[in-house]
Amino acid sequence: MEELQDASIHHMTAKVIAAIKNTKSYEPIYKELQKLVCSPSVDTHDMRNTLEDAIRSAGLETEIRNIVYNLVRSRLARPDDKRLTSKQSAKPTVSDPLGYLKRAGVLWDRRVRKSLNAMCTELKVPLHGQPRISADREDFMAKWNELSNYNMDLANYRPVYAPKDLLEVLLSLKGPAKTTENTDQIPQWEFSHIALPVKNLFELRAHYADLLRNDGYLGVPDLTVQCQRILEGRHAPMCQQFLKKGCTPAPYRGALWASVLDSKLHDYDIDYWQKLRNAVWTTDHIVDKLVFKDIQLTASNDDQYFVFEDVLYQVLLCFSRDTDIGGCVEYEAFPVKGKTYEGPPSGVVPFHGICMFAAPFCYLYDSPVNLYYTFRAFYIRYCHRLTTINTHPQGIVSLCLLFEKLLQTYEPQLWSHFRELQIQPLRVVFKWLMRAFSGHLPPDQLLVLWDLILGFDSLEILPLFAIIILSFRKESIMQVASLDSIEAILADLSSIKVLPLVQLALSRD
Amino acid sequence: MKRQASALRNLRQKCGGSYTSDDDLPEVKLLPSPLMGVPFIQSRLRPPKSQKGMYYSTDWEKSALVSNFQKRGWQQVPSFNGEWNFYWASTQNCRYIFGIDHPYRMRSDQVINHFPNSVELSRKDLLIKNIKRYRKDLERRGDPLAQTHSPDTELGIGGTRYMHLDIIPMTFVLPSDYLLFVEAFHRNPASTWIVKPCGKSQGVGIYLVNKLSKLKKFAYDARTFFPPINRDTYVISKYIDNPLLIGGKKFDLRLFVLVTTFNPLKAYLYNEGFCRFCTEKYDQTEIDNVFMHLTNVSIQKTNQEYNSTHGGKWPLQNLWLYLDSMRGEGVSEMLWTRIIETIRHSLDAVAPVMANDRHCFEVYGYDIIIDNNLKPWLIECNTSPSLHSTTTNDRMLKSRLIDNVLDVVVPPKSLPDEHWDKTPDPELLKNFTVLKPISVSSPPTEVPIRRKVRSTKKRKTKCTAISPTAVNISVPPPAEGEPKIRKSTKERR
Repeated sequence: MEELQDASIHHMTAKVIAAIKNTKSYEPIYKELQKLVCSPSVDTHDMRNTLEDAIRSAGLETEIRNIVYNLVRSRLARPDDKRLTSKQSAKPTVSDPLGYLKRAGVLWDRRVRKSLNAMCTELKVPLHGQPRISADREDFMAKWNELSNYNMDLANYRPVYAPKDLLEVLLSLKGPAKTTENTDQIPQWEFSHIALPVKNLFELRAHYADLLRNDGYLGVPDLTVQCQRILEGRHAPMCQQFLKKGCTPAPYRGALWASVLDSKLHDYDIDYWQKLRNAVWTTDHIVDKLVFKDIQLTASNDDQYFVFEDVLYQVLLCFSRDTDIGGCVEYEAFPVKGKTYEGPPSGVVPFHGICMFAAPFCYLYDSPVNLYYTFRAFYIRYCHRLTTINTHPQGIVSLCLLFEKLLQTYEPQLWSHFRELQIQPLRVVFKWLMRAFSGHLPPDQLLVLWDLILGFDSLEILPLFAIIILSFRKESIMQVASLDSIEAILADLSSIKVLPLVQLALSRD
Repeated sequence: MKRQASALRNLRQKCGGSYTSDDDLPEVKLLPSPLMGVPFIQSRLRPPKSQKGMYYSTDWEKSALVSNFQKRGWQQVPSFNGEWNFYWASTQNCRYIFGIDHPYRMRSDQVINHFPNSVELSRKDLLIKNIKRYRKDLERRGDPLAQTHSPDTELGIGGTRYMHLDIIPMTFVLPSDYLLFVEAFHRNPASTWIVKPCGKSQGVGIYLVNKLSKLKKFAYDARTFFPPINRDTYVISKYIDNPLLIGGKKFDLRLFVLVTTFNPLKAYLYNEGFCRFCTEKYDQTEIDNVFMHLTNVSIQKTNQEYNSTHGGKWPLQNLWLYLDSMRGEGVSEMLWTRIIETIRHSLDAVAPVMANDRHCFEVYGYDIIIDNNLKPWLIECNTSPSLHSTTTNDRMLKSRLIDNVLDVVVPPKSLPDEHWDKTPDPELLKNFTVLKPISVSSPPTEVPIRRKVRSTKKRKTKCTAISPTAVNISVPPPAEGEPKIRKSTKERR
């Protein structure tokens, strides 16, 4: 038994070491190590112990630990999947129950990109961008800090897609083998025919158990002191554990998130940011126009975030040029016939409302560089799953399925009310789910919700919270009979407090 | 009674023709002329024949007001025949009601939403006069509130060395204090100053100067021995050129303060408010661009960049979140405390000269600017803050404000009564912060005596203990029913 354990640890260690060598932070750490070895505190006769001590005292230990933690988390956590996908790509999977879903994901991606390409040909603009004329470039550079004043004619540009488009596609997903069943009983618009594994409330409660845990036996904990100590330690898992409480003091939230998302700034990060910025200055790309249009339509009109629109321009423009993103994000693999289309450099086609993912970060970070890296990490880890059709347990499809199942099981009255009105309940909450409530909840509560997302490393809180809101406003919803009135009831979420409601929902039986 | 008359005399002198109402569109219904000639005004008005519930009148048909009145089941009556119990009046109509020429004595079951001489707070020249007098009073009495920094500290924007009373930037009245201003100007040669007409509002007539040559007309008036009597007065203040910027833009705070009585002073600050942002990024050197310096909505509206969806208004809660996240622990609390103190000082300054008519209450709109060192500065106080809503959030905020105001001002389930001591049930205070008297935590022997001696126990629960007995100060304690300050001002007069 122990031998097996040892062997698996050894196997894992080998993989981790191989992965570390590929990260950008490997070189600087290695150089630090070399310096340490030459220092007088390391004794060549007793290399191992003294070197370990030296590493610990120099603070490198925590850094290395964080790197290992993040690597294991992101790339090596599911080694089995890697083997599976390689098998899958070998043969077209007719037998895979989720094959149609993966196919839909790839088709959706292609459709979005095709739409972008069509817009390019319509407006006679090359997809890869063209260099800016020097007058335009100088204007752009001069106005870099106040891009809200940069005038562009955006009348011909429209957002490529909006949440409701994705919703329509999701609602029309049909499984392969259900046509033989009696279609009277199963309404066409349910998700439950999708065979994705989702948690039920019991499992959710187990996952979110830390929220309900009361540390009161140690006396009233002083959160500020705890935060400071945790941040001094710089250990990512501890920061994540702290975020689970949902009562992060505002001054420390920025640092905690940066630690959990592993977005600490190194020199090469700042250089990279400047490279992206120069790319924006020198090349004119169609996504720039889309970014401008999007911000003008959403963030500039939002009375919680309009103050930050200039920073948002900078962040999203650089985001659209960042080629690293394409490498970090997971896409579905499925063989599909037909042409493949290219997308923007980042691989992400901006949609209506994408800037709202970045907007709450403006409350946490002053400088655009910090904001950018933390936002980028958050996007790669979580937001991307909300915008594409995929089979990930936290993808938008699974979240919708979770929402429906919870609604059916725990709010049967609401469920039948919606059935009578012939309204899919998803229509009402989809915009919340797709934007992770950004723009719907007030900023301070939204940041608490995102604390929970980061702390528990799961987007499942989103459908859970949607159910909580519906159940909270149940009486009002039961009394009305049209989609518009239901939307009116759910339009104002400014009085909702996240933490007590979630705790209440998870603790009741 | 005598007090009342003297205050009203001031009112007549000072209120010639102008009114300060902020941001409101002039769609006020003036009382129709029958009021002037009807003989029954000479006597007390008869109460309505059969009183069924509260009657209200309002000069402003704003949803924030009317929806709250209707929610309580009050009935609207026209204002001119005086059947109302509650009247939300415009300042012009108030002048008729308080004016000596038309003695209109209110019944004991009537409340009105203005004090007779609240111009003492809203006109910029009177406000600065009151604050200066208040400071001198405190200094004369050796009150620890009047502490100053040591003489070799540099003068800040306030132009004084007061530690606690530095609430307003250095201000002079023009043309009367022109020469004093010139002295101050020469002491700060690179400074910018802002000129505001005393009797106007909505940002009209305000401009920035940094050269004496722009003030030629005042120089002329100062030299003339008999200046023209009807010339408008102006105030010139040191411009706060290092305001706190968010997103590179300047903003000010609009806060709402309810005062139910000035003697004893009972004031409540509403916890919700908003920040009004400029539409253009702030640049200290461009003093002619009003869009980056003046935050009045009526001015910013005219800019092409103005966005009517949010109207440049940012909820106060977001400011606190932003400051806490960026500037550290407890910053927003500290700033809120400073703001409370600033407002309380301004009210203490005018309390002695306010005609404390028991039928009155008032909701003031305070404009406060925060500078880069997180110090709040009082810019001005409006007696008719705009209840016009530009956005949905705005409308909801003002509606909640009026709802809370009505709960506090009118005792629940009964008609107003002028004999009520205006102590609301603490539960009704909801979203209001009580503006408590300010005590400086200095050596315990020196307790400021002018603070309220008798205040109801309910409100005192969170106060620090204020001992009514003077120790070091050789002034007799206030007699029952007469606050000390009022006596001293009478002596000086």
